[in-house]
Amino acid sequence: MKRRALITGSLIVAGLIWAATVGAMYHAVRRFETTPGRGAASRVLWPASSRIVRDHDRWTLVMLIHPHCSCTRASLQELERIIEMSGTSLQTYVLVYRPADFQAGWEKTETFEAAKRLQRAHIIVDPDGAEARLFGGFTSGQTFLYDREGALRFSGGVTSLRGHAGVNRGSMDVVDIVHAKARQCTHPVFGCAIVTTESEQRQ
Amino acid sequence: MSEIVTERESEMDARAAAIRDEQLHARRVRVDRMFTWLFLVQYVAGIIAALTVSPYAWEGKVHTVHLHVWIAVIGGAGIIILPILLSIFRPGTTLTRHVIAASQMLASALLIHLTGGRIETHFHVFGSLAFLAFYLDWTALITATVVVAADHFLRGIFWPESVYGVANPEWWRFLEHAGWVAFEDVFLIWACVMGRREIAASAARQAQVEHLSELEQLKSAALEMAMAEMQVAS
Repeated sequence: MKRRALITGSLIVAGLIWAATVGAMYHAVRRFETTPGRGAASRVLWPASSRIVRDHDRWTLVMLIHPHCSCTRASLQELERIIEMSGTSLQTYVLVYRPADFQAGWEKTETFEAAKRLQRAHIIVDPDGAEARLFGGFTSGQTFLYDREGALRFSGGVTSLRGHAGVNRGSMDVVDIVHAKARQCTHPVFGCAIVTTESEQRQ
Repeated sequence: MSEIVTERESEMDARAAAIRDEQLHARRVRVDRMFTWLFLVQYVAGIIAALTVSPYAWEGKVHTVHLHVWIAVIGGAGIIILPILLSIFRPGTTLTRHVIAASQMLASALLIHLTGGRIETHFHVFGSLAFLAFYLDWTALITATVVVAADHFLRGIFWPESVYGVANPEWWRFLEHAGWVAFEDVFLIWACVMGRREIAASAARQAQVEHLSELEQLKSAALEMAMAEMQVAS
């Protein structure tokens, strides 16, 4: 009798844990996925002091990535789609963050390799996110699109949530702007921080 | 005479039903055990996936354990605790089957999330439905389908980008996703019904054999008794 009551009690407790876990998990995942990273500082023109040489005959897309950010793989998948849909009118640069005091090679992750596999994209290692700061970006996945005159036309992320590849407003906007179907857009960016408040203050 | 035949037939039917229920119960207990092991394997796989795909969250050069790892460890355990306890202490019951069906779909959702929404991981849902069909209880498939549909419906309302990539999908879009599950369900439900019929037919045959064997034994006993009486008389 006692054993039976113990089993029933344990099952009721397990049922409550089960229900609470499902609720808490949905809540935690939703919060994590829908909370964007820090948006870019407002810059309207191509930063003159950047060491990237902009091609004046083409659109220029710059994406900032943290090589260890798992969500960034989704951004790269979307970038692949954008490059494919934009054709040769788009020049792409992927800036890969690496802390200056870390050994070279730290950045060579699966995400880095995925970036290297992108067609028609130049990969540039960005020590301490110096270039990222020039462009005004703080978050991995942050994408900037500049027109032929060097004016900023898109700023934001190209995924709908953290780590979610698939059709979304951000990547569609970039393609639409390149094909002259839209003028200027912004979108939230989802990913790990590249330039933190602390590192910004140190500069 | 006809009353005796009817009585024997109803006895045989009752025996066939008892054999069928016994066989179904034994089968369902075995499937419950299979799911216990499956839940444990999935739990470990979920943790490995989280540690492989997203071990850390980064803030510049500083890293902390990624939320996905905690979700795999704590959330994964929370999902499987009830079905495992039920399969140990209440094996073969209807409640156990339905909790297992719901939990298996939640495990699918968790694995899909931990692998970054990979389309390949969505096959886990369809594989799981096939495993649930081993119970030969189509109602468990309905529970699983309702969980999938509810997950898509609620996320479609509160968090649409996670399912459809866009913020304002049509309200009926969850039906399209759940529709593929329902498509598989049709064939699995048919397989469940056929499987149960086969078990019932086999149970009826066994009851008939048992009945005939019983009659034979009675005849043999009567014959032996008659022989013994003849011997005594001679």
